[in-house]
Amino acid sequence: MTEASTHHIRFTLNGSEVSADVKANDTLLNVLREQLGYTGTKRGCETGECGACTVLVDGKAVNACLILAPKVDGRAIQTIEGLAKGAELHPLQKAFIEEGALQCGFCGPGMLMSAKALLDEIPNPTEDQVRRGISGNICRCTGYAKIVKAIMKASRQMARVGGEGA
Amino acid sequence: MKKRGRGMACMYYPLGFTSYPNPSAAFAKYNPDGSATVLTGAQDIGQGSGTVLAQIAADTLGIPYDRISLIYGDTQAVPMDAGSVASRVTYIAGNAVKKACEQAKSILLDVAADMLGVLPHGLDVADGWVYLKDFPEKRVAIADVAKTAEVGRGRPAQGHGTYNPATTLLDKETGHGKPYEAFVYAAQVAEVEVDTETGEVEVLKIYAVHDCGKAINPMMVEGQIEGGIAMGIGYGLTENLVIEKGHVLNPQLANYIVPTALDVPPIESAIVEIPEPKGPFGAKGIGEPSLLPTAPAILNAIYDAVGVRIRDLPATPEKILAELEKLEKEKAK
Ligand code: FES
Ligand code: FES
Repeated sequence: MTEASTHHIRFTLNGSEVSADVKANDTLLNVLREQLGYTGTKRGCETGECGACTVLVDGKAVNACLILAPKVDGRAIQTIEGLAKGAELHPLQKAFIEEGALQCGFCGPGMLMSAKALLDEIPNPTEDQVRRGISGNICRCTGYAKIVKAIMKASRQMARVGGEGA
Repeated sequence: MKKRGRGMACMYYPLGFTSYPNPSAAFAKYNPDGSATVLTGAQDIGQGSGTVLAQIAADTLGIPYDRISLIYGDTQAVPMDAGSVASRVTYIAGNAVKKACEQAKSILLDVAADMLGVLPHGLDVADGWVYLKDFPEKRVAIADVAKTAEVGRGRPAQGHGTYNPATTLLDKETGHGKPYEAFVYAAQVAEVEVDTETGEVEVLKIYAVHDCGKAINPMMVEGQIEGGIAMGIGYGLTENLVIEKGHVLNPQLANYIVPTALDVPPIESAIVEIPEPKGPFGAKGIGEPSLLPTAPAILNAIYDAVGVRIRDLPATPEKILAELEKLEKEKAK
């Protein structure tokens, strides 16, 4: 087998321009965690089954373990590190804390990014839409009840403040 | 055809190891700035024991929760603990923390009594103050007492505590003995819908009532119940570890099926708080017990819905269809 070729890629990461030299077979997850030090995105199954690695690519929730890094050249990536505005937590993060929606927390970053993608698309989801929206994110601890509650709460709060938190 | 049914299951569950020592130890000290430091060997693995132990410490030491720094996670630096297992942490580590804090408090009260010119047993602590029980206006800040205790009296207000539930080995002949110190009790009801053509089971709702002694943190108790039920649903319906010659044949989430947010139905839970005399503030535990009644309640609900008894977990569609077929044949006879 020949050595994988190297590619120079540029993309925006949480709003800032970044560039990296990546191998053709590097996953976005690896580049984020190992090369750029963004370890908020979790490595779970690495086979697209658990959702722990969920990030937003051009606003869409994807499993970073399934995307090859060269593919994100020129695109906009959002990770959990970019969710808060400085010290001000995102309404979703606040609601997760208030509702006790995390236990071990390992599913948290992926869960929050899936929830953000959902609320960006459907600002006032029904409970069923919320459950569908996070059905690709497995949580072993909470039974999802408080996660669903937190997402519903955040959606109400964001509606009240009106379009903030995008 | 889709048929609905309802089933119930009850359980009791012991806290701690069976008949074997499983101690917890803790250390506590008041700091001269009015905060406190508590060391525990109990590890928070997401269940929230760190929060619960800090709450126990705050109430016992009489200082606000946010002024407790709870230190855990480094076995070289913290006291011994038998582990975050056996649903034992709130009860056993909680008792150890409480004892450590009580010892620190008794030194604090001694020094405060001296400062105020009263007897220690007339004093108590709350909200950062040592106060006279009969005349709360007479008080002194815990920070001042802690400072005086250290640099004025040379008696730092600190303490340690260990707790090990009193158990006995079981008699080999009679089975009698005292394997555990405390038990918790629960009942759950499952409502299901069984598709008689595909054998698929949908859980529509779970009701759960759990006795956990005093709920130190009700929101986290609820979280434990909900998480346990999700695990119980997987145990009852989908999770099936296949091991052959020492190899796990389904080591992936694609073939070992853990419930998603769509598989866990709305859960209605209630906590029954019957104080346990030996528990810290009457608390017992909630971890493992939360998942135990779920699978049997689901199996009973399946029986209620379609009249078949599944005795081998998980109750997969294949097993349910096979039983339904048997039932049909018997009826035809
Ligand atoms: S790590 Fe990517 S889906 Fe599990
Ligand atoms: S909080 Fe532990 S996996 Fe979700």
